Amino acid sequence: MAFPDVQLSKRPLHFIYLCDCSGSMQANGKMQALNQAIRQSLPGMAEVARQNPEAKVLVRAVSFAHQARWHVAEPTPVDQLQSSWVDLQAEGLTAMGEALRLVAGVLRTPPMEQRALPPVLVLISDGAPTDDFEDGLRTLMREPWAQKAVRLAIAVGHDADLDTLQQFIGAEPSSAAVPPVAMPPVAGLAAGGDRLPGEPVPRSGRRPLQASNATSLAQYIQWASTAVVGAASMPVSQVGIPSTAESNVPLPDLPPTVIGQVVW
Amino acid sequence: MSALLPVGTTLQFQGVSGPVTVVRLLGGGGQGQVYEAVYAKERVALKWYFPRCIAKDLGLEQRLRECIRATSPNQSFLWPMALLSLPFETASRLSIPPESFGYMMALRPADYVGVHEHVGGHLQISVRNVLRACFFLAEAFHELHLKGLCYKDISLGNLFLQPQSGRILICDNDNVDVDGRDLGCAVGTPGFMAPEVLLGRMKPGASSDQFSLAVLMFRLLTRHDPLKGKLELQIRCLDEPARRRLYGEDPVFIFDANDERNRPDPLDHAAALLTWPIYPAHLQALFQQTLGAGMKDPSRRVYTGQWKTGLARTLDQRRLCPDCGQEVFRDLEQASLCWACGGPLNPAPRFHTARGSVAAQPDNELHPHHFDPLASERIDMPLAIVEAHPVKAALLGLKNLSDETWTAELENGESSPVEPGQRCNLSLLVRLRTSLGSIELIR
Ligand SMILES: Nc1ncnc2c1ncn2[C@@H]1O[C@H](COP(=O)(O)OP(=O)(O)O)[C@@H](O)[C@H]1O
Ligand SMILES: [Mg+2]
Repeated sequence: MAFPDVQLSKRPLHFIYLCDCSGSMQANGKMQALNQAIRQSLPGMAEVARQNPEAKVLVRAVSFAHQARWHVAEPTPVDQLQSSWVDLQAEGLTAMGEALRLVAGVLRTPPMEQRALPPVLVLISDGAPTDDFEDGLRTLMREPWAQKAVRLAIAVGHDADLDTLQQFIGAEPSSAAVPPVAMPPVAGLAAGGDRLPGEPVPRSGRRPLQASNATSLAQYIQWASTAVVGAASMPVSQVGIPSTAESNVPLPDLPPTVIGQVVW
Repeated sequence: MSALLPVGTTLQFQGVSGPVTVVRLLGGGGQGQVYEAVYAKERVALKWYFPRCIAKDLGLEQRLRECIRATSPNQSFLWPMALLSLPFETASRLSIPPESFGYMMALRPADYVGVHEHVGGHLQISVRNVLRACFFLAEAFHELHLKGLCYKDISLGNLFLQPQSGRILICDNDNVDVDGRDLGCAVGTPGFMAPEVLLGRMKPGASSDQFSLAVLMFRLLTRHDPLKGKLELQIRCLDEPARRRLYGEDPVFIFDANDERNRPDPLDHAAALLTWPIYPAHLQALFQQTLGAGMKDPSRRVYTGQWKTGLARTLDQRRLCPDCGQEVFRDLEQASLCWACGGPLNPAPRFHTARGSVAAQPDNELHPHHFDPLASERIDMPLAIVEAHPVKAALLGLKNLSDETWTAELENGESSPVEPGQRCNLSLLVRLRTSLGSIELIR
């Protein structure tokens, strides 16, 4: 006498981390902070996946140092990843271009499914590419699934190459010459940091997210793995004019966050 | 997630007379955060808005004030009870923007789960309780619409379900508005929004609520999306522009009575093909009307009152397949086949009253609307319920849930009183006499 054991067929949502594991990530505990941030974000991501009857969230990760390689090669359901995540290790150069080529290879059909939700690509870096980034990006962006993907970038610390990260995200739809995102203020209050008092905080995932400390890194990873996964997979309440054609996935607001201590 | 309000402290808000203790953060969404709190020794919930939400939604405070004044349409809503703000000094001491506000509402009990648990197949629930949940939904929006209000954002996200009873709770009532006024900015959730709203041609209101309600009930009853058929399979990347096409520009109901372009695919849409035949034709027809003629023409959509009638009637038709035990909802007077095992179903024993016909099957109930022509359908105050004998399960009895003594007339011509709380053995019964009217047992 139970409801039949059936459910809505799910479309895969491929979520891919591209993690900078160059030597500089060793400094000031950045590598550990990234591993922690990813681990900590997994339960929330699993919850969002569960709440969405229409999506099967599958996670992979690429690490890049003197070469790029798959850190998690199999598209892994997020609840399984919680027990199987192996920490990333920092060493060597920054083969970011090669990482993009690696991802391009899996966004082709096959191995990519015929039908899916928009993939989410999250590029995390603390420096500048040491290989041919332009070629990597061209290869990636030739894939229709890469064009459809939500591409986010997180700059760790102050030495990240923001122009490169912006190229990965793509040009901003409205104004091109806006500064990168500083830490959002405490619940809308004017915050300190490097902004002038009263200056509005640019808030958009369409620019590199600058994580100047471990807390903000964790918050951005959390945001990408919950709010953005939600937006890419499950329609959310809309306000104003429906479906303004700003992009193919409406990005959620960045979270109101707390400014922690600068640790690197 | 960091809390906007200081957890563990007791605050004196403006808007309520006594102190409020903020106990813990329950969750946060797009607009704000929800806390468990204690007010006047009672556990309550407290929603506190992000300043950016207040800045964007200028009608929010007025809508909330009017909601609070209008009071809850019925018990299915977690309705705002009081608007809360902080005195300037308290706000500045706690570094909370002084223009912030929130509201107090009832706390959702722990045995209510988000309906996505059911739609995602994570829940054990009977078809009866899914139908009951749909009835309570239709009833809730019926009462809301009768007050001249509209909800605007009906979707899976704002609905909670008690699986053991089918009872529901609707949260996020801050978009509720006077129908037709449009003092607000919510337009709805893609996939639930009426096409004319999704395309930006109309503002959301009661008639777009009727559309969203049909979509939500279809999703609960079938665990499938009413517009995801063959046309969905032509979409490679299901993103916003694709959803706009599927749900806005060329929306076709998968079981449209005339347009067959969007029929379910046997492999990808198996859930719809399995579950849709569970429901009787008169209920299917309500979906075909709202999602057929009503797709493009809002005036053709089924009203909440019609849904209540159709769902209550479906519940009355519920019986158990003698072969597989599944719940079947078919015409009681005709032979048919079980949707689950294909086994034959004979006409079923049923109760006839002045205004209804109810299958004599365990858990089925008689309600005031089965007797009184003026009573509108309600399913939460049964007058009688069918129960199996605790030892001999094949033996059924009708339990008197009213506070009057009934008289049972038996096959041997004798009669016997049935006191409140007693069960009357159906195997000997001809009819029951009650002050509301007689209950005939038809075999
Ligand atoms: N009355 C309540 N009792 C318990 N939990 C609630 C209540 N109202 C909302 N919640 C929970 O709080 C969270 C956010 O609520 P919601 O009102 O949907 O926020 P938003 O509108 O910002 O998305 C959700 O997880 C919801 O389940
Ligand atoms: Mg909500």
